[in-house]
Amino acid sequence: MRRLPVYLVLDTSGSMTGEPIEAVKNGVQVMISSLRQNPQAIETAYISIITFDSTARQIVPLTDLASFQMVDIKATGTTNLGEALKLVSTCIDNEVTKTTAEQKGDWKPLVFIMTDGIPTDDWQSGLEEFKKRKTAYTVACAAGNAADSNLLKQITENVVSLDTADSQSIAKFFTWVSASIGVTSTKVEDAGKEVTGMSELPPPPSELNIVV
Amino acid sequence: MSDVKQLVAQLFKSNHIPIPAHRMALFEQFIQNEQTQTAATIISQQQQALMARWKQEDKLATILEQPLRVANATVGKPYEAKVDFGQTNWNDIVAFQVEGLEQVGLAYDGTTKQITGVPTQSGDIKVVFKFKIEGEPQEAAFHEKPLTLIINPDPKSLWKNLPSDSTDPYWKEDAVTVLAPLSDRHILVSSKRGRSHANVGSFREDDFAFANLENGWSIVVISDGAGSAKLSRKGSAIACQSILAHFKDAASIESLIQFDELLQQHTANTGDDTQKKLNRFVYNTLGKAAFRAHKQLEAFAATAGVTLKDMSSTLVFTLFKKYEIGYALLSFGVGDCPAAVLNKDVSAVTLLNWIDVGEFGGGTRFITMPEIFQSDKFATRFSFKLVEDFSYLILMSDGIYDPKFVVEANLPNVKKWQEFLADLNGNNQDGVKVELRPDNEAIEEQFSRWMDFWSPGNHDDRTLAIVF
Repeated sequence: MRRLPVYLVLDTSGSMTGEPIEAVKNGVQVMISSLRQNPQAIETAYISIITFDSTARQIVPLTDLASFQMVDIKATGTTNLGEALKLVSTCIDNEVTKTTAEQKGDWKPLVFIMTDGIPTDDWQSGLEEFKKRKTAYTVACAAGNAADSNLLKQITENVVSLDTADSQSIAKFFTWVSASIGVTSTKVEDAGKEVTGMSELPPPPSELNIVV
Repeated sequence: MSDVKQLVAQLFKSNHIPIPAHRMALFEQFIQNEQTQTAATIISQQQQALMARWKQEDKLATILEQPLRVANATVGKPYEAKVDFGQTNWNDIVAFQVEGLEQVGLAYDGTTKQITGVPTQSGDIKVVFKFKIEGEPQEAAFHEKPLTLIINPDPKSLWKNLPSDSTDPYWKEDAVTVLAPLSDRHILVSSKRGRSHANVGSFREDDFAFANLENGWSIVVISDGAGSAKLSRKGSAIACQSILAHFKDAASIESLIQFDELLQQHTANTGDDTQKKLNRFVYNTLGKAAFRAHKQLEAFAATAGVTLKDMSSTLVFTLFKKYEIGYALLSFGVGDCPAAVLNKDVSAVTLLNWIDVGEFGGGTRFITMPEIFQSDKFATRFSFKLVEDFSYLILMSDGIYDPKFVVEANLPNVKKWQEFLADLNGNNQDGVKVELRPDNEAIEEQFSRWMDFWSPGNHDDRTLAIVF
């Protein structure tokens, strides 16, 4: 069976303390519950969570929706986005099955990155690694005005921003991520086609500004 | 030094009460005093109790702050899980109960320490985990810890089966299954709307056609309308019907008579380059039919005011005729629908086409693409096979190929075809058996049921044609 791998790369640096980190946790949980109601997603989508602060960690390996359990996350430390990009690259190498003559590989992964600040590490070297991996699409979200959407634009053309990193905006972001995963899993199952850009995703809610 | 003496000395010391050397004798007497002894024992006991209580509190706090995990369940699927205490020391827990499971069809078994049962409803179920830790008196109340048990819905129950809009001008039946005589054989064919379409009430996009033609020829056609093309349901219908129409034309009937002569020369070794001539004949005759299908699609798109791309459909067809020396099979294919013929004892498979599979999903080709006719590969889309006899001639859309054969590399492997036939014969999860005998009155019903096989991630339209 061809899986649809989804990587959520989440900023857990100190600035996310309090409302934002709680909203992220809650957002992931609501997202998973809603995707479980989608027949295509529950069969196809596999989710992994990578967090980054002073280090990057894959806190949930690529897991099918039915078995997925969210683990507790805490906000602390700096913003090592570069390390996170490197880690998501190795995770893709290790977890996403390639298509060969003998087996049908997975669909190309979807990557959602969310950050509320400026990277504190050498993020360009991480980006170089990440660019070598094929994704169906990568969406970056700049949460609040301390994040630099122009910088995120260098990672992917699909950048959205939230005016403030409050619980309502973050919740809206995750609702949209959830809808995007739903649409993508339907598309791969129904039409056998991958989604390649944000134009094919559901329109983001008003809380999400598309950065052009 | 006695315990009492040590305790009192320690007490005095921490309260800065010195005992000078000349008071040592008095201090010794003081220690021996009965009242002192009693007081010291009480103090010591209280201290022990304090420490024990603290340890208890600490253990409890550790248990309470540990995330309590239990594997997710699924409605209708037998569940068996041990409560996983993570880092918590299981040994500290001497008694526990789990409450809130009964209403979802589960129960906690104290002897196996497992939650078992078959969940009856989905959701995030709030369960209360009650426990006592070591050292607590028997009558002490249970401590409580909330636990969320995730019960997934049965994936099958999430799929809706909404009928398609029968008033749509391009509507077709959601499912068709037929048995009919064909040539000196029978054809059993079924075409069904995929679950992904049924879920949203959209149309079946696959199509098929078959017919007995003049002069002993028969034909089977299947076409798979692309999921991303809005009128592909009509595209696949036109593709099938135009092929049928083409071979019913007087010109085509006339042209096919030449084939008899060519084949006769070929088998009798009387002509020159007969293999080449046969190949050229197949290329010309079937190529015309394929091009006609393309042109008809183009014409329809123009009148309907849609693009040719909106009609995107794959196309595969096989013409076959019985001669004294065996069966001649002429095929053409564009897209990812395999066609194959199995010899009499099912020990060898002959593929009648190659399939267009992209580097990744969605890389197929369609009869609606003008470039396929100009491509160098166009000539390779045709085949001519002469077989002594055959057991099954099979054509299928990718809705069958993907779940049953998975990759192209499996198609030349006769074992995979044997497994496929065994699957049809009841060797499958649901034990659904299709008895491939023309006199089987329930054959359509059996085949229709077989076509509904469950395969996660494979919910495309399914079309399967078997000539037997």
